[in-house]
Amino acid sequence: MSTGDTGNEVGSWAERALRRRWRAPVMFTVLGLGALVLFGLLAPGGERSTFGISTAGDIVEIDPVGVPSRQAAILLALLCLAVAGYALLLTARAEPVPLWLSVLFGSAFVLSFLTWAVAGETISLTGALQGSLALSVPLIFGALCGMLGERTGVINIAIEGQLLAGAFLSGVVASLLGNLWVGLIAAPVAGLLVAYLLAVFSIRYLVNQIIVGVVLNVLVLGLTNFLYGRLLSPQAQTWNSPGRFPRWKLPVLGDIPVVGPVLFDQTVIVYCMYVAVLVVHVALFHTRWGLRVRAVGEHPEAADTAGIAVNVVRFRNVLIGGAVAGFGGAYFTLGAIGVFSREMTAGAGFIALAAMILGRWKPMGAVFAALLFGFANNLQSVLGIIGSPIPSEFMLMAPYVLTIFAVAGLVGRIRPPAANGQPYIKS
Amino acid sequence: MIAMHRAAVIRLGAVLAASALAVTACGEAPEETDAGSEGDDFVGCMVTDEGGVDDKSFNETSHRGLVNAHDAGTISDVQVAESHSTADFEPNVSSMVSQECGLIVTVGFMLADATADAAESNPDERFAIVDFQYTDEDSGEPVTIDNVKPLVFNTHEAAFLAGYLAAGYSETGTVATWGGAKIPTVTIFMDGYYDGVQHYNEVHDADIEVLGWDKESQDGQFTDDFSNSSLAQQYSENLIQQGADVIMPVAGPIGESAAVAARDAGDVALIWVDTDGYESLPEYSDLILTSVVKGMDTAVEEAVEATADGEYSPDPFVGTLENEGVSIAPYHDFSGEIDDELAEEVAELEQQIIDGELEVQSDAAF
Repeated sequence: MSTGDTGNEVGSWAERALRRRWRAPVMFTVLGLGALVLFGLLAPGGERSTFGISTAGDIVEIDPVGVPSRQAAILLALLCLAVAGYALLLTARAEPVPLWLSVLFGSAFVLSFLTWAVAGETISLTGALQGSLALSVPLIFGALCGMLGERTGVINIAIEGQLLAGAFLSGVVASLLGNLWVGLIAAPVAGLLVAYLLAVFSIRYLVNQIIVGVVLNVLVLGLTNFLYGRLLSPQAQTWNSPGRFPRWKLPVLGDIPVVGPVLFDQTVIVYCMYVAVLVVHVALFHTRWGLRVRAVGEHPEAADTAGIAVNVVRFRNVLIGGAVAGFGGAYFTLGAIGVFSREMTAGAGFIALAAMILGRWKPMGAVFAALLFGFANNLQSVLGIIGSPIPSEFMLMAPYVLTIFAVAGLVGRIRPPAANGQPYIKS
Repeated sequence: MIAMHRAAVIRLGAVLAASALAVTACGEAPEETDAGSEGDDFVGCMVTDEGGVDDKSFNETSHRGLVNAHDAGTISDVQVAESHSTADFEPNVSSMVSQECGLIVTVGFMLADATADAAESNPDERFAIVDFQYTDEDSGEPVTIDNVKPLVFNTHEAAFLAGYLAAGYSETGTVATWGGAKIPTVTIFMDGYYDGVQHYNEVHDADIEVLGWDKESQDGQFTDDFSNSSLAQQYSENLIQQGADVIMPVAGPIGESAAVAARDAGDVALIWVDTDGYESLPEYSDLILTSVVKGMDTAVEEAVEATADGEYSPDPFVGTLENEGVSIAPYHDFSGEIDDELAEEVAELEQQIIDGELEVQSDAAF
């Protein structure tokens, strides 16, 4: 596959690519019709859905918006269908469906679903979005970490361990020294240490990357549980009382309705996340460094021939990734709860891996995937509270079902970096 | 070159794996708290469930029972095996069987099967299990295993009082609860709380709403584990956004997330469970309206004492308001904010429940 593509093969590949493009518009149409029937036509009329916009402390108070549920859902479903029609038209003309169209479709579909689900009730739209972001932050850091590794061809299963190590060390250091900022510096160091082990074993000694990752997760889990039991819990005042970063509301930006409280009234860790996403995006796709990184992940032999030290690039990227994940781990302790607790990452590292794949190994894509997961996870709670007839066990599955659905239905075939998971041995 | 590497790799891999296992295993090895010389050679043993002995909740409280017995000189030694996953249950119980224990206390209903198996194959060993009573599979009637003493609690009686208090205290007319996992020992709290609020509505012709649990459909808000503190915090925030100003988290260690959300919101009070949150959660003591206290420490201590005195019996201990196995904690900082009238009503209800005039029902009751 990697070498000797003939013109003929490339041609057939392009043909297949063209055929595949029908997937999204067709999916849009099916979903749009589904929304029209399920959320609109079959729903009982006469009820109103109310969405709260303002949160406590807003300068500009906006009254909650109430809409007649059935009519609004039908209108939004029709908008979905219009978008789907336009997408079909574009595809028929062999033009690509732009990203903004997909985003518009997604928003209209979700809003249509919400007006249906909230019929007769009130929810805070701003609050729901705030919660979605809060649940996504560690996933985004984790996905960036995974991406930095896999773009060079090293699979990092140890994201969970790196997040947990970051959460642990940041909490302990901030607690011992009584300074949150030192704790925040310690977090990437913890992630880096875990990443160093991963890099040494998988790159230097060629141990199977997946196995090393799994073992590292167990190691960090065991170590933190052990220390938690021996030090953090019995002497919580000394070892486990780091406190939390305050929320900083940015001037002007923070006062925009909905967007302000969601995006610009956050802790320093979340602001760092925005920067990290941008930096990784620019670095990977708009710098020479990024080109080299991607070359190493796609075709290490060629990169080597061009004079790139493959394993050095890999080693470095795994370390950088570890630092990013470790930093993200600080969100659990210093950003959210203010104490470390056992196994508090609760599988976020693995969901981050899924977000990275769903986002096609691209920072922006991973952000959307992580937000989607956070949104679904938060929504199942909000809808559960206002009284949903669906049992809570099934509601808890919603984020996972949605992820599978998104991967299978909307994203289509995903191509990882070609050399992903393969150690490079210079011959 | 590669061959040499491979040998090195295998060795290194093995070292890494072994050290990982060694570290994990450290937590599980039986710990000797203190080789005290008092007592007459009676070792009190305990196997925790996944929460571990320091969970600020039921494992920790049960453990305190053993420690208290040790401090009082009733028993000579305390040994603990912590479980970190369900796979640890059986080996931990078996390791305790080989430890010459006077009484083995297993904590939590998740350990029920492991305890029953060990009890059957070691009929001379004595067990006590916290939070579980064996029942016949077909009839659902309680069954007794000759060497397992169940220590169970009708927490819904105390939670009923907490619900009534919450309803009376609430300014917004909305109170809430959420749980760690949908298991009987969690939902029993929520049932009592729910009924307490409904009782308040009946008595005062009020319309206080309970979010997060519906007794009729037996469903509500659950994080589905006892470790996901971010999700727990989000649940609490969502409940507050829907208007709740009293929250009762029934989730052991991650209940603290609700305290964080309540602190951020400003005017939200908490009802803690298992222990008196005013003491076990000092940083948030000013938020604790009251606590539904489950006297596991007393129950364990009494069971150990009785066994040490040669009076072991497999009859279940059921903690109720009447025998003070369950109770609601003092109002501490909130005593000034709760009307005397409301406090009196709660005290009256407590008496009514003790006297049997008022019956609190829960499917999860014992």
